[in-house]
Amino acid sequence: MSTLRTAPHLRDCFLAALGYVATTWVCIGLLRHALVDAPTVLRAAIALLPVVPIVLATRAVVRLVRAGDELQRRIDLEALVIAGVVVGLACLTASLLEAADVIELSARQALIWIFPAQWIAYVLARAWTRRRYA
Amino acid sequence: MNNRVRELRAGRGWSQAELADRLSVSRQTVNAIETGKYDPSLPLAFALARLFDLAIEAIFTPDP
Repeated sequence: MSTLRTAPHLRDCFLAALGYVATTWVCIGLLRHALVDAPTVLRAAIALLPVVPIVLATRAVVRLVRAGDELQRRIDLEALVIAGVVVGLACLTASLLEAADVIELSARQALIWIFPAQWIAYVLARAWTRRRYA
Repeated sequence: MNNRVRELRAGRGWSQAELADRLSVSRQTVNAIETGKYDPSLPLAFALARLFDLAIEAIFTPDP
């Protein structure tokens, strides 16, 4: 198995991530300016558009993992566990500090960042885990 | 776990990439096995044994 088998899926992940950033930027702009007085159904549809590239990214990651060999799957598993624990601990820490009024945290801002943070942590953890087996 | 994969591969004049292709794994996996950073699964160990026409225990030996 060469990297050629996984390369198209890595490219798809990258494109989907770019799509997420672009759709989020466009949708927020539309909702804050052009569609302020639009019907709720239209606003909801526009607000949910960034979910599409995230679903595509998830599909690309699943394909990437399935195209990998046993070592690559182990690396992905370790990376997912690390990412889950890191993001979970970060959320717990932030919510405890928020509960103690040490920091001010908007639930809206926090929620929208959890999923991207999970992916960023996964990518970083994957790079770190890969180095351990290099 | 110790192994003779590097020695056996070199004996046949194969690169890591060539061996990886024959085993349908990545070159990183071959390298990790050779450097002892990763112990292969039983199916992959059998595939290596079949490829080198040896018994598994002639390739892999437990740490002393």
